[in-house]
Amino acid sequence: MAETAMELINVKKTIGSKEVIKGLSFAIHKGEVFGFIGPNGAGKTTTIRMMAGLMKLSDGDVRILEKSIKSDYKEAIREVGAIVENPEMYPFMTGLQNLSHYARMIPGITKERIQEVISVVGLEKAMKEKVGKYSLGMRQRLGIAQALLHNPSVLILDEPTNGLDPAGIREIRMYIRKLATEKNVAVIISSHLLSEIELMCDRIGVIKNGELVTVQQVNERAGQKNLKQVQMEVSPVNQAIKLLKTHYHIDAVQTEAFLRFQSKKENIPALIQTLAANGISIYQVGAAKGSLEDKFFDLIGENTIG
Amino acid sequence: MGNFFNLIHNELTKIYIQKATWVMYTILAVVIIGAGIIVNTADDIKVSYGEDTWRAELQEENEQLTTEMEGEEFLESINSPLIERNNYYLENDIQPAGYGAWNFVMENSMLLSLVSLFTIIVAAGIVANEFRWGTIKLLLIRPISRTRILASKYISVLLFALFTLLFVLIWSWIIGAIFFGIEGWNPYTVLNKSSGVEYVSIISEIISDYGYQLVNLIMMATFAFMVSSVFRNSALAVGTSIFLMMAGKSIVAFFSDRAWAKYILFANTDLSQYTNGNEPLIEGMSLSFSITVLLVYFVLFLAASWGVFKQRDIAGH
Ligand SMILES: Nc1ncnc2c1ncn2[C@@H]1O[C@H](COP(=O)(O)OP(=O)(O)OP(=O)(O)O)[C@@H](O)[C@H]1O
Ligand SMILES: [Mg+2]
Repeated sequence: MAETAMELINVKKTIGSKEVIKGLSFAIHKGEVFGFIGPNGAGKTTTIRMMAGLMKLSDGDVRILEKSIKSDYKEAIREVGAIVENPEMYPFMTGLQNLSHYARMIPGITKERIQEVISVVGLEKAMKEKVGKYSLGMRQRLGIAQALLHNPSVLILDEPTNGLDPAGIREIRMYIRKLATEKNVAVIISSHLLSEIELMCDRIGVIKNGELVTVQQVNERAGQKNLKQVQMEVSPVNQAIKLLKTHYHIDAVQTEAFLRFQSKKENIPALIQTLAANGISIYQVGAAKGSLEDKFFDLIGENTIG
Repeated sequence: MGNFFNLIHNELTKIYIQKATWVMYTILAVVIIGAGIIVNTADDIKVSYGEDTWRAELQEENEQLTTEMEGEEFLESINSPLIERNNYYLENDIQPAGYGAWNFVMENSMLLSLVSLFTIIVAAGIVANEFRWGTIKLLLIRPISRTRILASKYISVLLFALFTLLFVLIWSWIIGAIFFGIEGWNPYTVLNKSSGVEYVSIISEIISDYGYQLVNLIMMATFAFMVSSVFRNSALAVGTSIFLMMAGKSIVAFFSDRAWAKYILFANTDLSQYTNGNEPLIEGMSLSFSITVLLVYFVLFLAASWGVFKQRDIAGH
């Protein structure tokens, strides 16, 4: 098993008389992208605030590279880069002035490093502009740049794709994967949209009402992304399975009258023709819901808050 | 330690990059020029006295002042001190230096109330604004203790006050020099003090005039800083501080017959009440008593700011 980058041990938070976080325990490994997902009000932001040292823990501990955020705050937080909710920056300063401001707070950040993170998030052109004039997406990118400045071992991103256009989301997604794979950074990324982060996460933790409901491994890796889950109603089923195996090397599974298998989208028409030409009756063809999504909705219910 | 200087660098950058700060400095610059113009047009300003003729010039001034007084009763309170001063020069055979840059700087010491106002505004915003902008989150997720961050902010407020004070001194001197010339490098003048007419060094007079007012400035800025970090509301901090700064004297007067009146902050902020010839505001007060009271308030203000800032959960808005 990979090394642990951050560990939550029975973390609890009571705000007023309300227990908002009810004892969270999980670990995030180096080089892993961990999705933290739950409906609005589940407690994602509260947990992240505690991980980043903005809120005191009511009980339990957060350990970052073995260092306790309670007793070893500075050493622990040195390893953390974060954006918490909207990445607000000083609106009257330029992007570069904002980054230099944060760079001065941690020893050893060079001008070159600042330029490096700027190009990582693709903000070169906007660096001399005041942040007050930035769009939400630009501010989000600057927020990520700020979080990366000091090469943290743990990167915590609260809804980082909020406000980004599809191209921006894809870029950030690719960059986050790269950080995890190449730099061995542990990334925690929160969202209430499974579809948005499913694609970049290794594991997903589901939180609801301040409790961890489940932690799921995401099996499909980025490389096989264009594989679709296909579901077909055919007869005879056995015959169809054999045909798929011999012609396309596909292992299909049968559930009652249905066939389920994975295939590239562009192969599907040819595949149907082959089946039809071999005397298989096809009643319907559709895309099967991802197994993870099924589980997620089962677990938390669609669009429920609280 | 280098890290701490960086924090101060950051705070000063954030203060001086804002347009509001430059508006403050523009106001000061314009007010000082305006004061220069007003003093310049007042005809009783004499820039220099002749080496051989200064006695005659003073006599002439005195005669003029006396005739003015005969016509208008109310001028007596203005003119008779001037006559007294002139007589002091004549009796002690001192040639007056005339009006110049140093005199102008000394007379501008009341501008320190503007400096106080601006320092209060800066102190009121320095913590509260981070909350208002939402930038407090990104400020506090650094490997720096909250104590250091707060300390860097407080010291930056004091530095702002210092820089602004220096600006007032230097700009007043420059404007004074342009309008009236320079009356030497260690000029003396005769002043009517409560202890009588005295021949004093203008530079030491400038230091004590500005110095005594600095006590009030620092106390009110610290108060604003406390309100700012406890309530996270800069408008509230500015409002209460300015109200107290203006009403302070009246508050003391209102409660002056109570036994605890001497413990009110504003009974103690004016340390010049202990200089020779002056009466303390309330009987039984002494310089060391006032300094102790001031220190207690000062420590209380800072402890409250620190206690709240250190413990606060940074959540929502
Ligand atoms: N300052 C606060 N005072 C009282 N309750 C709070 C406070 N902040 C959060 N809560 C409560 O804590 C719970 C969790 O809130 P949190 O912001 O962590 O949710 P979230 O998972 O981030 O939701 P979202 O998807 O909307 O961002 C909510 O029920 C909220 O009402
Ligand atoms: Mg949230």
